[in-house]
Amino acid sequence: MPRYLLSRLLQAAIATFGVITLVFFVMRLAGDPTLLLVPQGASAEQIAELRHALGFDRPLLTQYIAYLDQLAHFDLGESFVQRAPVSAILGARIPYTLALAAGALAVALGIGLPAGIAMAVWRGRAVERLLAALVLTGQSLPTFWSGILMILLFGVILHWLPTSGADGPASLIMPAVALGALAMSTFARMARIAVLDELQRDYVVAARARGLSLGAALWRHVLRNAAIPVITVTALEIGNLLAGAVIVETVFAWPGIGQLAIQSIAARDFLVVQAIVLFVSVTYITLSLLADIAYSLVDPRIRAVA
Amino acid sequence: MHRLWLSLAALLLATPAFAQSAADKTELVIDLAADAATLDPQLQWDTDSYSVYRNIFDNLVTRDQSGKIVPQVATAWHYTNDTTLVFDLRDDIAFQDGSKLTPEDVAFSVQRITDPAFKSPQLSQFDQIASAEVSGPHQVTLHTKTPYPALLAQLVKLSIVPKAVVQKLGDGEFNQHPLGSGPYKLDSWQHGVAVTLTANPNYWRGKPPFARAVFRAVPDVPTRVADLRAGRVDLVRGLGPDDAQALKQEAGLKVLSVPTERVAYLFINAQAGPTKDVRVRQAIAMAIDRDGIISALQQGYGVPVNEVLTPADFGYDKDVKPWPFDANRAKALIRQAGAEGAELAFLTSPVYDRRLNEAVQQMLQDVGLKVSIVMMDQPSYLHRRQGPPDQAGSLSQGRWSCACEDADGVIFPLFRTGSIWSKYSNPEFDKAVDAARQTLDPAARMADYHRAFEILREDVPAIGLFQDVAIYGARKPLQWTPTANEAFFLMDMHWAP
Repeated sequence: MPRYLLSRLLQAAIATFGVITLVFFVMRLAGDPTLLLVPQGASAEQIAELRHALGFDRPLLTQYIAYLDQLAHFDLGESFVQRAPVSAILGARIPYTLALAAGALAVALGIGLPAGIAMAVWRGRAVERLLAALVLTGQSLPTFWSGILMILLFGVILHWLPTSGADGPASLIMPAVALGALAMSTFARMARIAVLDELQRDYVVAARARGLSLGAALWRHVLRNAAIPVITVTALEIGNLLAGAVIVETVFAWPGIGQLAIQSIAARDFLVVQAIVLFVSVTYITLSLLADIAYSLVDPRIRAVA
Repeated sequence: MHRLWLSLAALLLATPAFAQSAADKTELVIDLAADAATLDPQLQWDTDSYSVYRNIFDNLVTRDQSGKIVPQVATAWHYTNDTTLVFDLRDDIAFQDGSKLTPEDVAFSVQRITDPAFKSPQLSQFDQIASAEVSGPHQVTLHTKTPYPALLAQLVKLSIVPKAVVQKLGDGEFNQHPLGSGPYKLDSWQHGVAVTLTANPNYWRGKPPFARAVFRAVPDVPTRVADLRAGRVDLVRGLGPDDAQALKQEAGLKVLSVPTERVAYLFINAQAGPTKDVRVRQAIAMAIDRDGIISALQQGYGVPVNEVLTPADFGYDKDVKPWPFDANRAKALIRQAGAEGAELAFLTSPVYDRRLNEAVQQMLQDVGLKVSIVMMDQPSYLHRRQGPPDQAGSLSQGRWSCACEDADGVIFPLFRTGSIWSKYSNPEFDKAVDAARQTLDPAARMADYHRAFEILREDVPAIGLFQDVAIYGARKPLQWTPTANEAFFLMDMHWAP
């Protein structure tokens, strides 16, 4: 166990360092950020002055080392546009994105898993076809469109839910459903395949032959084994939810990091954009690490192999 | 981590910040496209930020509904020589903390925004000011580096900040907790969500029209429209022509629009590629159906312009006639220039209207040119557009606003030899715009700009496409006439009785 954990931690650390390096160089390759920060009518001298003040005229390697040094002190710099520490700007938005991701995950797991299991258990019945239609809908509606449809129906016509913003729990419902829909479909399909797979195995057939009820067989044997692929997908889906939040947060005016990303790109807020990319990447790496640890706990075979 | 969960809990339990219905007449709820980037008025100058913070502060001078520059904190002004401007100030204005607005505050406001160390993004608009000093008990004197005719137009944007408060709080804190002498004071700023202002009961120009004003950040246009239709908000900014058409059908709502000082233009590279030949540039000018663009793409929300400037700017010349739309003459000119089938690179980025790119592409293909649209990210686009002429492509579109309503802020940076945007050089043009920069006499300046626009018409380093129109949606009872400079003063709005 410790050796497996250690090697996974090391991998995660290397990946994080790789991401930090990649983000730094890709952002610089995209062009000189100074050009984005000056007003339209600025002269060449004014641009050069600002470039110098911001340190973008230093050799790339010097900038890179300074950047690593800053990161080592958990300093993300100061936003030139908002004139506030980037960490504070991000910190104000992260709770909203976490709340949205949690809500979406609740929708996705809460509907997706039971639906998937039901589709496996009642294979070939009307229930499966009905649920398959639901899954297909969740999978094929683009969020920017389903989002605005929901706003029109529940906000403008029925007045049940707030059309936009973050005015307490009611505001979270529509964004969470819109964001969770795609993941819900993924979970349902995953769960269906995993459960079907396990149901046909000899040990399940044997258990059933011993007189174990379907419910008991599911609960004691099938779900535990079927959980492994689902855990992996959950971890990756959380990462996808963070990325998908960009569209949903924009449509519903939900003030998370996705909306901040759009605002910062439009306002050319270079350091904030860089920090968001970094945050999402590191979250992704952390989640996949946690997933690996989680299924080594669920399935002792993984520990043994490692 | 602990604090993170606390704020998460606080978020979910939060009582709605603006649960009150929009029908509440003492309150005005507004959807902007984005949260204010800064509330310090001497930092960012983008439409969403200044729509909020200009209501917290007063300006040295301002513009009336017709666009004329009129007193606000200053009561009168006069030049003692070409580079010295003296302002007489009111002595009955108080900041929201009760302290008096003094000439020291005015001088400090100028010194602060022109201090290179402060790195104000607005610096280039004020950097002709050499110094500011208190010259009497109710008087401030500004010195400019050279005679600078656009000074007053720039000062329209100078908000007066309280010296003592800024120095006590520091720049970072002042940005989060701004305090001015304007009709509204900051109540709360929930980042990414909304800024709430409350009326300043002691405001010197009279009682503000609403007790509270909420500026929400709603980036998506259809969502802003839905907010308006659901009755959650009273006023939304930044609608497109299509949204305006749809809103017009709604009972209880109305569309407000105003031609702005923003000009849409087509850049044509005069120093490299096939467009180096002036005949090709003139042919392009005749190949573009600008009326068609305004009626089809803009749904009528655009005003034809004669040049790369709008009638809202000083220097606009009604007498210089634009090239007529004449595809046959354009074809003939291109044949004459031997440029049939010439390949033109149309540089662009996602910031610009894709439909306009494609319309121009089609119109130019119709007269025998080959246009390839080169889509890039914005930094790469700017890098090439502002780089050497052979990198800048043959064509690109742009929207230009100097926020100063003066030709000096538009055609000088766009076409003057040596400017980063200019891919064109004509000593006669340079002479005209330089001269217009160095005299304070409006008649002489108009004559210089007339000359400049005549030269630009023949040389065609760009053509003006249309004057951009700002479109707002509002509930019917809201009374407001928007202005060309897109000022968003709550004092100019009120509910119909």
